[in-house]
Amino acid sequence: MEARPQVQDDPELLARFTERIAAGDQIEAGEWLPGEYRFEAQRLIQMHANSEIMGALPEREWIPRAPTLARKMALTAKVQDEVGHGMLLYRVAETLGRSREEMIAELVEGKARFHNVFHYPAETWADVAIIQVFVDGAAMQTQGALRSCSYAPYARVLKRICYEEDFHIQLGLDVWRTLAEGTPRQRAMLQDALRRWWTPLIHFFGMPDRISPHTEKMLAWRIKVKSNEELRQQFLRRFVPIILEYGLEVPDPGLRRVDGEDRYVYTEPDWEELKRVGRNGGPKSAERLALRQRFYRQHAWVREAVHLWAAA
Amino acid sequence: MGRGVSAEEPPKGAEPPSGGAVPGGDAPGAPGRGESWERRLDTPPDVWAVFLQARKRDPHIHVGDVHAPDAEMALIVAKENYTRRDPCVNLWVVRAGEIHSTTEDAAEMFAPATDKSYRFGGSYRKQQQIYHSGWRLSHRDEDQ
Repeated sequence: MEARPQVQDDPELLARFTERIAAGDQIEAGEWLPGEYRFEAQRLIQMHANSEIMGALPEREWIPRAPTLARKMALTAKVQDEVGHGMLLYRVAETLGRSREEMIAELVEGKARFHNVFHYPAETWADVAIIQVFVDGAAMQTQGALRSCSYAPYARVLKRICYEEDFHIQLGLDVWRTLAEGTPRQRAMLQDALRRWWTPLIHFFGMPDRISPHTEKMLAWRIKVKSNEELRQQFLRRFVPIILEYGLEVPDPGLRRVDGEDRYVYTEPDWEELKRVGRNGGPKSAERLALRQRFYRQHAWVREAVHLWAAA
Repeated sequence: MGRGVSAEEPPKGAEPPSGGAVPGGDAPGAPGRGESWERRLDTPPDVWAVFLQARKRDPHIHVGDVHAPDAEMALIVAKENYTRRDPCVNLWVVRAGEIHSTTEDAAEMFAPATDKSYRFGGSYRKQQQIYHSGWRLSHRDEDQ
């Protein structure tokens, strides 16, 4: 990870930039950017790209074990989408000044971050349903909001990504419905998966933001569009009803809707766990990174061949 | 894999100078006060811009970029990335560093400086309506 830059921006250019963003304008690749904007936007998009690539792994484990051919085909299509999203996002991150090779190397060496939810195991087929409905649903809240972010190349890619994520959620709901309306054993499996995923899902949006000059600046520059807590509440509003509709139990006994408000209270999760997982210290971090490394090395000859081809 | 699609070397311009956009010249008729209004993107030479035509009567639209060592490979990667489910009848790829673009600052030159309603059919339709309704009003008595 690069340290936050301490560059002094030209005050005149900075003022003009701030004015443009405040007027709702969006920035294209190659335009002048404040050093801090470039750093933050690049870091955000790189982490998003990493998460797409690493996020493909838990579900990939279930392709050979999918219960029917139709499920196998749909799951393969979804995993392919996620890897495709990674490709689109690395290209956007690259326009902010770091090469794709550099970013991939950083990920493989375990020096880069990816989303907390992809550090956890997918133990049963019901985990696939939870990932497709709730993990992708959580990601949709963040990514949907960011479609109005100020960096136009990212906003354009997000439009496409959200369109495909909608398919993932619909597919997931179909798996979810099958299990929720299935045998007692299937329902128990679904409930158990939901229990294991609940804390990572609450963690997903991060700690409630501190009101800091940094957060204010990210919001003003529209690198961040909604606060962590706003996004978490939006997620709970949309997804708690799905759990209740199928007669399953929300794994947090402290969760309730505040009377007369469109807001939920929930049991404060252990935020230390999120920090630990974020530093690649989750239950599956090492194993998944090792897998990524193995294939990175195994495919080195392809990259070399492509490089020689380009040079020939 | 043959090299049939393009055996050409990346042109000099595809090797961008470090930092920032490639400045363009002051073309005749360019707006502004000696400021550059044309540029090329600072893009690595292995980046290709992808243009997709959804149906025969549609124009090709830039849908994104891919990384590839040559045009044939770029078309293959573009197919995998941009035609998974939505319709497509034709793909173009072109080295992104070869695209010349107007600068974002130059957007104001597209804003109409004067009233251009005379270029639009709609404004004539509007005039006809006014004319006819005026005629109807003034001739109401004779009509009856």
